[in-house]
Amino acid sequence: MKQRHQILNDPRFRLVYDEHRPFTEAPAPRHLRLNREGFTLAPGVKKKTQVYPGMLLATHPSMEKGDLHSSVYGVISDINVRSIFIDSADPADLDGSVRDAVVEPFDLLASGLEGDALIEAVKKLGVNTKSIGKKCDVLVINGLNPEPGVAWAEPMLDGHCPEIGAAIKLLCRIGRAGRLILAVPEGTVIDSREFDGIEIAYVEPEYPNSIGELLIKRITGIELPEGWDYVGIHNVWSLGRVALRGLPLMRTVITIGRGAQHENFIVRNGTIVGDLLEDAGIEVENGDTIFRGGPRRGEGLDRLDRSITKGAIGFFLMKAGEVPPMDGDSPCINCGACVHICPTRIDPRMLSRYAEFARFDMSRKAYFGLCVDCGLCGYVCIARRPVLQYIRLAIAKLEQEDAIKRLVPIEPIGRN
Amino acid sequence: MSDKKQVLLAVSAPPFWHCGRTIRSFSLHTLLALAPAAVLAVMQWGIPAARVMALAMLAAVLTETACRRAMGAKMTWGEDGTSAITGLLLAFLLPASAPWWIVVLGAAGAVGIGRMAFGGYGANPVCATLVGWALIYVSYPLPMDASATLLSTDLIDPLAKLRAFGADAVGLSSLDLLLGRQLGGLGAAQSGAILLGGIYIAARGIVHWQIPAAFLLGTAATASVFWIADPAAHAGPLFHIFGGSTMLAAFFLATEGSCSPHRVIPMWIFGLIGGALVVIIRTFGSYPDGAPFAVMLINLLAPMCSVIPTFPFGYRNGGRR
Repeated sequence: MKQRHQILNDPRFRLVYDEHRPFTEAPAPRHLRLNREGFTLAPGVKKKTQVYPGMLLATHPSMEKGDLHSSVYGVISDINVRSIFIDSADPADLDGSVRDAVVEPFDLLASGLEGDALIEAVKKLGVNTKSIGKKCDVLVINGLNPEPGVAWAEPMLDGHCPEIGAAIKLLCRIGRAGRLILAVPEGTVIDSREFDGIEIAYVEPEYPNSIGELLIKRITGIELPEGWDYVGIHNVWSLGRVALRGLPLMRTVITIGRGAQHENFIVRNGTIVGDLLEDAGIEVENGDTIFRGGPRRGEGLDRLDRSITKGAIGFFLMKAGEVPPMDGDSPCINCGACVHICPTRIDPRMLSRYAEFARFDMSRKAYFGLCVDCGLCGYVCIARRPVLQYIRLAIAKLEQEDAIKRLVPIEPIGRN
Repeated sequence: MSDKKQVLLAVSAPPFWHCGRTIRSFSLHTLLALAPAAVLAVMQWGIPAARVMALAMLAAVLTETACRRAMGAKMTWGEDGTSAITGLLLAFLLPASAPWWIVVLGAAGAVGIGRMAFGGYGANPVCATLVGWALIYVSYPLPMDASATLLSTDLIDPLAKLRAFGADAVGLSSLDLLLGRQLGGLGAAQSGAILLGGIYIAARGIVHWQIPAAFLLGTAATASVFWIADPAAHAGPLFHIFGGSTMLAAFFLATEGSCSPHRVIPMWIFGLIGGALVVIIRTFGSYPDGAPFAVMLINLLAPMCSVIPTFPFGYRNGGRR
């Protein structure tokens, strides 16, 4: 009720779009830019190395992060601390060993692996296992579109549902969650052959119900119940795709949106967004805004040579003038709209000010950690303050502070 | 990509979608909501009413610009419309006969002392309009008295009459009051038009409806108590709601965001106390109309209302954090 009143019935907040078209495979990219922050390069991967689809480029020391594979035939043109750049090439122009290299499919379902061994195998196939491998009593698979504007969840539940079915089998074998619940929008018709033996919860598809914490509250009626956790259907679908194909994860599903239009694409990891826009026939002009992720929580991009990374959920273009521009330093006018709309009843008005004036100690007292990152505060802010960004700044700063506090001072040697 | 012309992208922070409402659009809607009362005031008083309203708005905007210049802040000419609203609301509390210097003094006081001294729109602890109004009302009671226009009109001031002669002597029905057939501030006297405008801004979500609802409820309840105790000496609840500037105070003055609470329970407490104070000041105070003073008093109470704690997410029912 209070949200309806504030938002004035924004139709975009309805998270079902009657979108059932199968995903379109995006054209092969001409250039790739793969994120390698935190990764260790695989032996032999350096500048001018020739690569083939599925070739291991880098591994991540954490068990929660999937390894990095090439998604095209090509040549590594550059490697810096953050990215690996690949120019794609015709296989005929490459060395014979690369041209004929075949990645042996690994059938996760038939392998009989379970528990941690299965997690490791999944990680080696490039899937991020942080949320898949959560240890909890009940794991909710969030089958809602994560944000308004993102539209791939409905096709994943009907046309593309074999992947979900396979992933659920794997999740049962990983065995870290006692119970699995698939949350789907009210009114969804579920193919019972694919989703055999899983509990289904029907949820009103209205933003912000797609935020994990709020989704669990919708299902249980309890705020932050003990032992419940969630995983997004995007991640689960990627797991299922790897399970069905046996090949490393080289593609991600994104919604490409502009204005009221949207379409879902399967895009290779590392595709440069400029190429993507060109292939989709979308013209970008001065003053437009592009962002990766969703329209609510995404990340603004400054240049067209940024890329779609693994796990990205969408890519959007917003024409200049579509929304009132954001003045960086506009002061809070205390209208209280954000306080009124916040689903976790924290005070974004004061939290944003504490961050603005670097009073992070005050953020701690104001329950900054309860923020579920829904972005409604910034959506309703009539002063166009970057409220969510301020809260994220506070969270990042306080995490740094806590990390420093955990450091143990080194005892000086030889002072006895 | 290198062969393509470089495009200059605008980088902004999430959320990228926005409800599209801005301070400026809020101001325009508020001005629209105030328009019926302004039109009725001009119909009743003619050009002098238009003169007071125009002068107050102009003085408010110019004061804001001058203050911004002095503060070294970004120069604007009142484009966001908030100072014009402050000026217009001030004019709504003045009689048509107000001399030019008092209008300018009031508007300058409202924007200069009431708002800009605290840093600008949205930082004032007390309703800016009322700071300007109190400044001139207390300093120059004679030219501020609507009774000075008695010679040119048949209207009577219901609150002055109530104070001097008791409830029976007033002789105005609730309908008369609602239709603006009373002597008082230019717009404040147009209770019906103000009510219409108030419902409009509450329905658009520009003000939280709880504050005006609680304010009017508080007025009605307190007035009822006095009225039941002694109907001859005290006026009924409808008289207090429609008479004087109660309606203007409930919808437009008490709801100013920076000096009212933002959560539901504090809003109700805030409004109820304000409504009660209106009747108490009218009954026992030394000024006939208590509504503006009541709003100023509850503005000071707003921070107290805001410290009423809420249960953060997950704290009430044994959540994990």
